[in-house]
Amino acid sequence: MDEVEVKAQPKTGMVTVYIMGQAYRVPAGLTILKALEYAGFRLVRGVGCRGGFCGACATVYRLPGDYRLYADLACQTTVKDGMYLAMLPSTPAERRPYDIRKAKPRGETLLALYPELARCVACNTCTKSCPQKLEVMEAVQAALRGDVAKVAELTFDCLSCGLCTMRCPAEIPHYHVWQLARRLYGAYLAPKAEHLARRVEEIAAGKFDGELDRLVRLGKEELRELYKAREIEPE
Amino acid sequence: MERILYFPGCALKDQARGYEEASLAALAKLGYEVKELPRWNCCGTVYSLAQDELMRHVGPVRNLIRAQEEGADEILTLCSMCYNTLRRSARFVEDPESLRRINAFMDDEPDYRGGVEVVHLVQFLEEIGVEKLARAVVRPLHGLRLAAYYGCTLLRPKEVAVDHPDRPEILERLVSTLGAEPVLFPERVECCGAYLTVPRPDIVRERVGEILRSAGLAGAQALLTACPLCKFNLEERRPLGAPRIPVFYVGEALAWALGVREIPAEIGKLLSTGVTG
Amino acid sequence: MSVYPEYMQESIQRVEETRPARMGTNFPRLPLAEQEELLRRYHPDYKPEGKRPLRVGASYGELVPHEVADLLEAYPLLDPEKIELSEVDYDVDVLVIGGGGAGTVAALWANEAGIPAERILIVTKLRHGDSNSIMAQGGIQAADKPHDSPAIHFLDVMGGGHFTNDPKLVRALVMDAPFIIKWHEELGVMYDKEPDGTMITIHGGGTSKKRMHSCKDYTGLEIMRVLRDEARNRGIPVLEFHPAVELLTDEFGQVAGAVVWNLETEEYKIVRAKATVLATGGWGRLHIQGFPTTNHYGATADGLVLAYRVGAKLRDLDAVQYHPTGAAFPEQIVGLLITEKVRGLGAQPVNARGELFVHPLEPRDVESAAFIRECLPPEKGGRGLGVVTPTGMVGVWLDTPMVDMIHGKGTFQRALSSIYRMYIRFGIDPTKEPILVYPTLHYQNGGVVIDEHGWTGIPGLYAAGEVEGGVHGKNRLMGNSLLDYNVFGRRAGLAAAGWAKKARLGRLTLRHVEKFVEELRRAGIPAARRSPILLPDYRGEKTLARVVDLL
Repeated sequence: MDEVEVKAQPKTGMVTVYIMGQAYRVPAGLTILKALEYAGFRLVRGVGCRGGFCGACATVYRLPGDYRLYADLACQTTVKDGMYLAMLPSTPAERRPYDIRKAKPRGETLLALYPELARCVACNTCTKSCPQKLEVMEAVQAALRGDVAKVAELTFDCLSCGLCTMRCPAEIPHYHVWQLARRLYGAYLAPKAEHLARRVEEIAAGKFDGELDRLVRLGKEELRELYKAREIEPE
Repeated sequence: MERILYFPGCALKDQARGYEEASLAALAKLGYEVKELPRWNCCGTVYSLAQDELMRHVGPVRNLIRAQEEGADEILTLCSMCYNTLRRSARFVEDPESLRRINAFMDDEPDYRGGVEVVHLVQFLEEIGVEKLARAVVRPLHGLRLAAYYGCTLLRPKEVAVDHPDRPEILERLVSTLGAEPVLFPERVECCGAYLTVPRPDIVRERVGEILRSAGLAGAQALLTACPLCKFNLEERRPLGAPRIPVFYVGEALAWALGVREIPAEIGKLLSTGVTG
Repeated sequence: MSVYPEYMQESIQRVEETRPARMGTNFPRLPLAEQEELLRRYHPDYKPEGKRPLRVGASYGELVPHEVADLLEAYPLLDPEKIELSEVDYDVDVLVIGGGGAGTVAALWANEAGIPAERILIVTKLRHGDSNSIMAQGGIQAADKPHDSPAIHFLDVMGGGHFTNDPKLVRALVMDAPFIIKWHEELGVMYDKEPDGTMITIHGGGTSKKRMHSCKDYTGLEIMRVLRDEARNRGIPVLEFHPAVELLTDEFGQVAGAVVWNLETEEYKIVRAKATVLATGGWGRLHIQGFPTTNHYGATADGLVLAYRVGAKLRDLDAVQYHPTGAAFPEQIVGLLITEKVRGLGAQPVNARGELFVHPLEPRDVESAAFIRECLPPEKGGRGLGVVTPTGMVGVWLDTPMVDMIHGKGTFQRALSSIYRMYIRFGIDPTKEPILVYPTLHYQNGGVVIDEHGWTGIPGLYAAGEVEGGVHGKNRLMGNSLLDYNVFGRRAGLAAAGWAKKARLGRLTLRHVEKFVEELRRAGIPAARRSPILLPDYRGEKTLARVVDLL
C-alpha cells in the first residue's frame, strides 16, 4: 500500500482497562474491540461487523468514581483509563413467531404476542442503555398506545444488540417487538409503490424479453457503443 | 379560552378513542383549550400500584415532571385508571423522603418539585359549576334514565376519591345537569372484576352479571363510566340472561348534551324530546 | 472544538473557501478511454506484483491475489482420513452454508418451493445475519420507474463491469430486480418512499438512471433483519458458530453436504444434504495488498476454498473492489464504509487544496483510482495532494456539509443516520466539517462460476451472493450486491430444492479432498499453510509469539 500504510498505533500513551476484572495495558485511542485483541483475546463471540451495524459486541462498563453502568458497542467506543468492562456473549430473549400475511398492523398484535410490554414502569433504563441513542422507552409507550407506525419510526436504527433487553426491569424483549412493528408497518401501513407493481407485471408479461435477448447476444464493441450513448438522468 | 394541560393515557389513544374525541369536543365547547402533554408515558396502570414498590411510581411521577416542564400546576385526565394512578403517585411523593428517593433514582430527569395536581374530568366539570354547564346544554337528555357506574378507580383509595367513597353523588349531579334522570343502584360502587378479565373471565362474568341486573332492576336505560376497562368488561363479559344495557363514557353524554356529538339512535329514541331535542 | 489537528483544520479552511464556487457545478465524467488509463496507472488491481497464477485446480493458471492463492493452494484443516463419515449428525434435503443475505434468501425460497422447513439447514460461522449483507448502507438497484428499464440497467451493469460480466447472469439480475423489491415490500421492508408510495430513488456510481432504493442508510440491515425474521417465523433451523470446513461428496461425485465445526466446543459434525448452497460471502478480511476493509469479521473466503477443492471453477478473482470512500480519520474507524449515497446526495471529493478532482459518481474502481492518484506522492507518479493523518493514513476530503446545503438542514442526519452517528461518536459533525476518506477493500468482484440458476456445474452444488462470480464481471456497481444476493439466493434456493427432490445420494466420502491434496503434493507445494482460515487473527505479535495450547 506504499506510503499510505497504517502505522501501528497512535502515539498517545497507554491506559489500563479491566477486562472481566483483569487489568491490561493497552494503547489509548483504541476501540474496546481492538483493545481486547491487542490484549491477546481472539474473539469468537462479541464480534461481527466491526462497524456498528450488527450489534454483536454489546458491552457494559463502569468508570472510576462513577456509579453508572454504561452500555455501548465495543467496536464504536474508545477505551478510557480505568474502564471496567465485560461483553455480552448473547441475549436470551424469547421471540414469538407470527404469520406476516395474517397479522393485523395494530397495537393489539404487539400486545398479544408480547403482553409483558404492559409491565413497563417507565423507568427509562432502556433509553439510557441504548448505544444508538434511540428513544427506547418512548417506543415502548407508543406500543402500549397501539401506535405501530411510531414504534417503527422510533426503532428503525435498532441493531438488536440486546442491551436494553438485558437491563429492563419489566423484562421486555424489546428488539423482537420492534422487528414485528417494523414489518407490520412496512407490509401494511406504508403506502404501496404502484410503479413497482406495474413493472413487475410488465416483466412477467414478457415486455422486455426481446430487448434483453438481443442485448445478451451483442458483442463487447456493440455494447460499448450503446453504453456510451446512454442518456444520463440529471442529478 | 382557558388553557388546561391534559394527560390522555394509552387506552384513549387506542380502544377508547371515541371517549377522548367526545370529551375534548365538549370541553372546547365549554371554552377550554385542552393541550396534550407533548411527551408522556403510560400512567403505569392501577394494577402496578398493587405492589408497594418505589419503582412503580417512576412512570407516573415522570408524567408529573412533564407537566412541571410545561409550567402547569394541574393536569387533566379522562380515564379513571390514569387518574387513579397519577393521583396516587402525586400523593405518594408528598412525603419528602419518597420524593427524594424517586428523584435520586430518576437521575436522567430534572427533579420533581411536587405540587402538580391530577384532576379528573368529573372534578373539572364540578369546578366549572352546575350553572355554567347547564347554560351550555343545548340538547338536554330529558326522559333518559341514566345510571352512573363508578366502579373502583374514581373512589378508592379514599385519599384520591372524587367524592364520598361509599355514597358518591358527583356523577348523579352531572347527569341531572345534562337533563337526564339519575338512577341509583346498589352495585354502582362495586368492582367489575377489572384485570381478572384475562386470567379469570368467569369471575368477571359473575360480577358483571350482578352489576347489570342491579342496574336493570333500578330501571337504568344506559350506564355511564369513566373507565375503559369497566366498559370493556360490562360489554364483553356480560353473562347470558343479564340485561343488555348500553354503556357510554361520561364525556360522550356530555358531548351529546352540548350538541357536539350526534346522539346515537338507541339513546335518541328514549328521549322524551326526540333525537333533535 | 474540532478533533482535527490544526494542520488538518487549515486544509478544511481551503475546502470551505472553494465550496461556494463548487456548489451547483461538477467535475465532468471521464470518457471511457481516460477511465481505462486512470485504472491502468493507479488501481491496485493493475499492479502485476500483487498476483500470481494458480498452480493447481480447475482454474489452473488464472491470476489471483497472493492472499487468495495462499488459501486456494493450502492443505485442509482436517485430515480426511480422520473424519468419521458413517455417523451423520444432520440429514437434510437442502444445506445452506452461510447465514447472511444469500443464504437466508436461498433457504426461504427452498422452503417456498416445497422443502419443509425442518428439511432445510442453515449453518453459519457467526450469528444468523452476521454478514456483509447487514452492513450495506446505500441501497439496492431495480429498474422500476417508468423512464427506466431492465435494458438500461443491463447496460449500466455491463459497462460498470467493463463488459467482462456474464450477460446471462446480468439478464437474470436486472429482470428479477423489481420482483425482488416487491417481495421485500410484501415482507415488510421499510423502503424510503414518497407519501404516495413512490420509491425514493437516487443515483449510484455508474448508474444512468436514478434507481437506487434505500432504507435510510441502513438498507442492508433492514433487508437482512426482515429476511432473518421471516426465516425464523417459518422455523428454518440454523446452526450458529458452525462454519463449514469441507464439502462432502458421494461416491458418484455429487456434493452431498458438509463437515461443519463448532467454533466453541471444537467438535466436527457431519451434515448430509441432497443439495448444498454455498453462500459464504467474500474475502475482505484477507486484507489484500494490506488495505483496511469494510467487511465483517467472517469474510475470509472460506467458500472459495471449499468449492475449489470440490472442482468448481473460479473467475474474475484478479479484480478486487476497493470502495473509494473508507474512513481515513479518526484512527478508531479507519477502513469503515462511508456509503456512496453521501456522494449521491451531493458531497464532493476534494483534495488538500480544496480542489474538486473527479466526478463524485464514477464507477467505483475509477473513483478509487482517482483518489489514489491524488494521494500518491509525485515521485510515485501521483499528485501528492492528499491529507496525511497523525497516524500516517492519507486521504482526500469528502465535503459532507454540502449535503444539507443542497437538500436542506436535517437531511444528513435523516438520510445518513448511521454515518452521522458514527462520526458524532468520535467528535466530528459531518454536517459542519468534511470527513477524510481513502479507498478500502470492499468486495470480491469475482468468485465461483455459476449459471443463471446458481448452479456451479458440479452436481448438487449451488452458489449465491458474493462467493459467486460473473454477475459483476471485474467491477460491481453500488446497489447490485444486495440485488445479487436476493436474485441469485432465490434462484439457487429454487434450483437446489428442485435438485433435492430428485437426487439420490450414495456413500459419503472426502475423496475430492484427498485428490486435491495429491495434486498439491504433485505441484510441490509444501504443507505450510492450511485453509479455510475461518477467522482473521488480530492479536498482537507479542501475544502470538508466546501463545501455547496447554488445554
